[in-house]
Amino acid sequence: MDHLTNVLTAISHPTRRAIIGQLAIGPARFLDVAKPHDTALNAVTKHLKMLERAGLIERQKQGREVLISFRGEPLREVAGWVHEYERFWNERLDQFEKHFKQKRKKEKKR
Amino acid sequence: MNESRRTIEVKVERTIAASPGEVFDAWLDPKTPGNPWNMAEKLLLNPHVDGFFYWLIKGNSHYGRFTEVERPGRIQHTWMSRSTLGEETTVTVTFKKQGEDTVMTLVHSGIPDTDAGRGHEKGWNYFLDIFPEQFGKGSPKEK
Repeated sequence: MDHLTNVLTAISHPTRRAIIGQLAIGPARFLDVAKPHDTALNAVTKHLKMLERAGLIERQKQGREVLISFRGEPLREVAGWVHEYERFWNERLDQFEKHFKQKRKKEKKR
Repeated sequence: MNESRRTIEVKVERTIAASPGEVFDAWLDPKTPGNPWNMAEKLLLNPHVDGFFYWLIKGNSHYGRFTEVERPGRIQHTWMSRSTLGEETTVTVTFKKQGEDTVMTLVHSGIPDTDAGRGHEKGWNYFLDIFPEQFGKGSPKEK
């Protein structure tokens, strides 16, 4: 797989996008990255491996701890490849889809 | 000289948790988050065949004319903005029933493929903006 494909694959999964979102705020330890996700630790490890392969995260040893941090550079490559209308419509339809998911969830709770 | 401009087509598909009729109506209701008319600074919308729309967002005007409005299956309208360089592009949205849900397909065709459209800076800002949004720390980015 070429590098762009690795990056696109890495950001195609909601959990991995959420991890990027967490790490964009600041570096974190593995368990802190895993904590908000309702998924097994080995699944988180796999997600991190894919992000690492895409160059979107890096690990740095600080004393006895390993800190995972976000690297934004590969996203520039994607940003230049995707047309603004592709981003625009994807973003709009994401919001639209989310609105109906939440609506159905509320209806089922009643 | 006969100058032809290269154009691109954008296709986006989502499965929406509602019936085609509900999704169709919501797509034309400016109050529903995610449709093109939502969060406008100014909006004139007449969603009937040969009806026009004017949509202003962040100082960027968008104009178009509805060419097909067939509830609950299909909506088509033209779309012109600064980003289409004055060219009339076409947006076609179809809604197909799939069990309890609706498969919604949006095709935006005839878009001039320019460097500006693929702007690195714009794209970069987009990525920076969507991350806080996922965690409820920012407002959705609009164009």
